Amino acid sequence: MKFMHTKLPEFIEKLRTAAIKNLGENSIEIKGLESLKTAKMQSLRTGRIESAVEELAMDKDISKIEVIVMPRVPETMHTVIIKGIDMNGESRKAILEVINIIHPTEEVETYDCLEVEDRRPPLGKH
Amino acid sequence: MAVINVRVIKAGAGPRNEVPLNIAFVDKKDIIAANVSDEVVIHAIAKEINGPTGINIFDMDAVTTTSDGIMVEGAIVKMAAADMGKVHKEFGILEMEYMEVTDELIAEEPHMLQWKKSFEGRKLFRGPNPNKKLIPVHNAVMTGRAVNNNSATEMMNVITMEEILLPILGQLEIMKDGKILIGSTGEVISVGIGMTVAEKYGRVFPTRQFKAGETAHGSGEFAKTLKKHIPIIAASKSVLAGYILKALKIGMIPGLHIGCSPAVLAVAKAFGSDIAIDNISEQAAAELGSVGITMDSLRKCCPKLSEQEIIEQADKIIPGVDAPVLLNSDEIVTRLLLNI
Repeated sequence: MKFMHTKLPEFIEKLRTAAIKNLGENSIEIKGLESLKTAKMQSLRTGRIESAVEELAMDKDISKIEVIVMPRVPETMHTVIIKGIDMNGESRKAILEVINIIHPTEEVETYDCLEVEDRRPPLGKH
Repeated sequence: MAVINVRVIKAGAGPRNEVPLNIAFVDKKDIIAANVSDEVVIHAIAKEINGPTGINIFDMDAVTTTSDGIMVEGAIVKMAAADMGKVHKEFGILEMEYMEVTDELIAEEPHMLQWKKSFEGRKLFRGPNPNKKLIPVHNAVMTGRAVNNNSATEMMNVITMEEILLPILGQLEIMKDGKILIGSTGEVISVGIGMTVAEKYGRVFPTRQFKAGETAHGSGEFAKTLKKHIPIIAASKSVLAGYILKALKIGMIPGLHIGCSPAVLAVAKAFGSDIAIDNISEQAAAELGSVGITMDSLRKCCPKLSEQEIIEQADKIIPGVDAPVLLNSDEIVTRLLLNI
């Protein structure tokens, strides 16, 4: 999978670089990945997102970039691990549960944009 | 040019301003008369209201079931969510599946005998076909801040995170310009909504997951708190009693054919109907017990009331809804005339 996926820190760095080289330091804010510690990001889309960041960063009317990552399908299913830990810090028991989370759709982030260009492929395609 | 009359409850309406988003109710007959598609009407409502909105389209000649398996007249056939003048192109609209009632269906779902005995010939709609929807689990639609969930019986603004429960009978009373009960869901209904029946393409579950006598909650003492503080718009208890009695009179047994919700149990007990107490699961019994309905109390004899007495005394007999306010629906429903 080495060539198919991008490490999370590398993904963030690529987007930062694409903005900063055109707009300078502190010109990009990335939201929505705060709770991820480790992840492999889809390389194919990483290149396209880098390219989109650069495209907007090169626009003379734009001075700052926000990148917001939110669920493409606005219901996500999560495993919940409930762990019981003893006095010595050892995990004694875990109960696995599931929770489905409903999210807003992208309109809550794009409502103030003069233009929205949707480059997402249909669901099920890369 | 046609005019479609849409019933709308505006965000902030209600005795305590508890409605968290706009709610629009449309009669399918009006859409057919206007010779337009459901989608045209949904998009027109979205543009006109221009804020977070749940939109439900009704076939008032069809039938559906409550979560506890009581068959009622009128059904939601399509649900939508809109916001900022838009309807999400992938997740904004979902239709309920038309269900043919066959002997096989009745054999699998004994509460469907109500159709055969009381509603034969009427179209049946409950939830959507899971193969026709993109949201993986919930029967939900969403656009921006607006979420319309559980086959259009629960709506929320997902940014303020305020929610409202809209049991089907309350919505049908709004469509009939009848009376509605508005209040907080409370502990009894929190427990009751878990007492489902097993249905294919059900309002909440797409497969036959929880049978009569079981609970979908399975959370003991915690079940009563799940929806306790959420506002609810329900039908008057006399209307609810009437439908429950209709099911009981044709031999539906709570805990066996229909769900063992507190409302069903209360009417069955008052009417002297059989209750399949031994078929009520331990988990369901624990949840019922947490709101004061013990298996021992169900076994105790009590004076039998007539159908008329139960309907007249429904407010005393059927528990549920905290701080209830009974309103004529036109006290909170406004009319939107759509020119299409």
